[in-house]
Amino acid sequence: MQKGFTYLLAALILLPFSLLLLLSLAEGWSFPSILPDAWTAEHWSRLFQLDGDLGQSLLLSIGISLFVATVATISGFLTSRFIAYSPFRERYLIMAYCPFVLSPVVYAACIHFFFIKMGLSGHIGGVLIGQLIIAYPFAVIICHGHWNERIRSMEQLVATLGGSRREAFQKVILPLSKGILLVCFFQCYLISWFEYGLTTLIGVGKVQTMTLKVFQYINEADIYLAALSSWLLFLPPAILLWFNKRFVFREVNVS
Amino acid sequence: MYKALGIRWFLLLTVLPLAAGLIYALLYSLGLAGILGNGFTLAYWQSVFAEGVVWRSLGYSAYIATASMSLACLLALGLVIKLRTAFQKGILSYVIYFPLAIPAMVAAFISFQLLGKAGLFSRLTYALGLTESLQSFPDLVNDFWGIGIIFSHSLMAFPFLLLLFLGTYEGERLGELKQIAKTLGAGEGYISRKIVAPILLKQNFAAILLYFIFVLGSYEIPLLLGREAPQMISVLTIRKLQRYDLLDKPEAYIIALIYCVLVLTAMVISLRRSKILQKN
Amino acid sequence: MKPNYILLFILTLLWGCSGPNASSSTDPAKLSWEEIVEQGRGGVVQMMMWQGDPLINAYMQDYVIPEVKSRYDIDLKLANGQGNTIVSILAAELEAGQGSSEIDMVWINGETFYQLKQINGLYGPFTDKLPNSEWVNHENPFIGTDFQQPINGMEAPWGSVQQAIIYNSEMISEPPQSLEELASFVEANPGLFTIPNEFTGMSLLKAMLMDIAGGPEAFKGAFDEGVYNTYAPQLWEYLNRIKPYFWKQGETFPAQLAAMHQMFASGELAFTMSMNDSEVDNKVLQGIFPESSRAYVPAFGTIRNSHYLGITKLAQHKAAAMLVIDFLSSPEAQLKKQDPTVWGDGTVLEVENLPEEIRSQFENLPSRILAPKREDMLPRALMEPDPEYMIRISKDFRKFVIEG
Repeated sequence: MQKGFTYLLAALILLPFSLLLLLSLAEGWSFPSILPDAWTAEHWSRLFQLDGDLGQSLLLSIGISLFVATVATISGFLTSRFIAYSPFRERYLIMAYCPFVLSPVVYAACIHFFFIKMGLSGHIGGVLIGQLIIAYPFAVIICHGHWNERIRSMEQLVATLGGSRREAFQKVILPLSKGILLVCFFQCYLISWFEYGLTTLIGVGKVQTMTLKVFQYINEADIYLAALSSWLLFLPPAILLWFNKRFVFREVNVS
Repeated sequence: MYKALGIRWFLLLTVLPLAAGLIYALLYSLGLAGILGNGFTLAYWQSVFAEGVVWRSLGYSAYIATASMSLACLLALGLVIKLRTAFQKGILSYVIYFPLAIPAMVAAFISFQLLGKAGLFSRLTYALGLTESLQSFPDLVNDFWGIGIIFSHSLMAFPFLLLLFLGTYEGERLGELKQIAKTLGAGEGYISRKIVAPILLKQNFAAILLYFIFVLGSYEIPLLLGREAPQMISVLTIRKLQRYDLLDKPEAYIIALIYCVLVLTAMVISLRRSKILQKN
Repeated sequence: MKPNYILLFILTLLWGCSGPNASSSTDPAKLSWEEIVEQGRGGVVQMMMWQGDPLINAYMQDYVIPEVKSRYDIDLKLANGQGNTIVSILAAELEAGQGSSEIDMVWINGETFYQLKQINGLYGPFTDKLPNSEWVNHENPFIGTDFQQPINGMEAPWGSVQQAIIYNSEMISEPPQSLEELASFVEANPGLFTIPNEFTGMSLLKAMLMDIAGGPEAFKGAFDEGVYNTYAPQLWEYLNRIKPYFWKQGETFPAQLAAMHQMFASGELAFTMSMNDSEVDNKVLQGIFPESSRAYVPAFGTIRNSHYLGITKLAQHKAAAMLVIDFLSSPEAQLKKQDPTVWGDGTVLEVENLPEEIRSQFENLPSRILAPKREDMLPRALMEPDPEYMIRISKDFRKFVIEG
């Protein structure tokens, strides 16, 4: 019984993904047929056109997300140490939660003015900074819990044994922190990869990441291309999750 | 020296934009900034308070967030209690991670293709003879109760919560606790309801709360699956910001400010009360 | 960083003045066309346009972009944004005191034109510089006047269309011709009709308002508060009376036209509508709409208007934008655009005056089958009223019908 239920549940969870895949290969899906009327690989071939807009958006999105995740993770990891050890730790942490709870699109509406002032609106640079403003505090939140008594005493131990701070960092802290760095990188990548509202506002629709493409296809009611681009959005993080699932989720529970 | 630099970087990326954004919004709402700013006025604030749209929108957002999170929590709790082992190995232990890779926009699109009148479920009920036409399929998207929105958010939240609960279950050694309760004569149902569920929820209170706030401020899902009125708070803000009438722009900032103040206050109070900010 | 530094920084940002200055190139208004071509060649033009229609997007993407690239080596880039988005972005740029805009060229019509003039966001006049402007039929009041405003060279006409109501002839044998007929139709067939809460829907409301007022005469000239206040309440009363029989019991309305088209295509709705009278033909040709789809203009008439191209005041590449606009107004590009298999958008050129060869090509375009002929629609064409009507209608439709 339980076995059957397990497979049923798995099938239910996979249903949306199969539907998207079907639609991305479909040519017409008229009511009331359950399967598409005809099949085509035409939508997918658009991805591989050299000057194709879809392929470009995919590369742009990957580039933006890798950059945002790298900068947010490295700086979030390093600065969270100061925050964790700071006497104003609680105050800083509350500030770090603010961008996360403010709804990126509302936040973007409030700060867009300054992006225009600095000539960043409508440029990739503006989108990078905008997304960093969302992702970096999140990295701090993920990482700050890492700096606990154990790490601290290790640092002190190295110091008592005459090691330099650099050595303590390279030989002790970094190896201990691989897990958290990976989790943090992945989460920040996702924040950037999934971001729509802020990107469309600050990029004024010019910086066309994959989420903007999906929205455009939905907007013109082209469900086949919308399904295809949805798949492209889903695939990279899904592959990462498949290979690295436990690691990636281990410490999302930030408390 | 590094420390000062690190803290500065933090302030530059979090406090500065936040403060700048809120101050700008405030000035704009008072007629002190912007293209239509003609000097100090409270007129915009008065009109927002008189209109009442913002309160309906806040209420509606709270309803959607509560319903989505309750549904997702119930589902996740039920599965953790009944099917815990199935998620630890076998096919479900892989598949359950997939929904985490769905962005909100795609979740909304999927929901539309599943729940819409021409969607997959409507085709299935038609094939089974449960509905005689597309029109007789019930309204599940752009509907009064926000079913489409709640469905999408639950779809996104439940795997996340489930994995969270699984972690807590092991971390808190709930299995052992259950055994003890059993030897003391407690029934299975009693243990689930009075011991396991409360511990899981309490331990993850902060994460649930943050997810709640995330749903409250969500944008893409209600944009695609919502109604024209009432609208959820982010959709309302952006609509006011980008309407034909430029006079609506100060109102957009007022709504943003009201939302920020409410959410930040609620967050600070709950975070202070939960142990999340305490030193470990 | 101490708090007072932060405050200082914010204050600097808030009140510190303009950003980078506009490009130092000469104002094209002072140049000859040859010099404009010289200056515009090789530029990058950022255009913001409504991208809610795959055929229109394909026309731009697969035809216009390669053409301007090969003719002038111009990189034309498109971004999605309707009138209200355009206004809000340009207004935000002006507020920030920017010296240059992120957007060079915009696709607009009346109400956006009006608001962009209000915030002084448009560059011009420029159309008399364009060689292809000579073919444009400026005398036609549906082209030379935009929402009762003379265009005065501040925007270049791009296409001329009339609103058409599209219905599924399998579900409806005789489409309603008057407001009363519409009321009795929806009562007898609930759930099949709705009004999209966007530009196209608002245009239908304007036509309904004119019908209630007994004809379009009262709506000539500037906005008249008295006229609006007399007739608009009757329109809301009428809509509220019949909206329980609309799609979803009139509790909500589609926010996007594409969504409405999709529901029409699947049979969820029996009606949709379009500001492009040829749309029904191209949607059927693409296999999106059922073959039983037909377009018509009800007896009370529909709005006929034109859509235009403008250049933003702070555009970085004005000369290049002028080259693109000139190309879009060329007989060749207009011919392609009017082809129902491409887009089906009515031309703004005076076909009579065109050189013989291209004129015959215009005359031999495959004619549409599912919509009435343009000549037959014209007697039921209504002039766009002042943009203020549009702004008030969309505000009050929300207030009294959607939220009411």
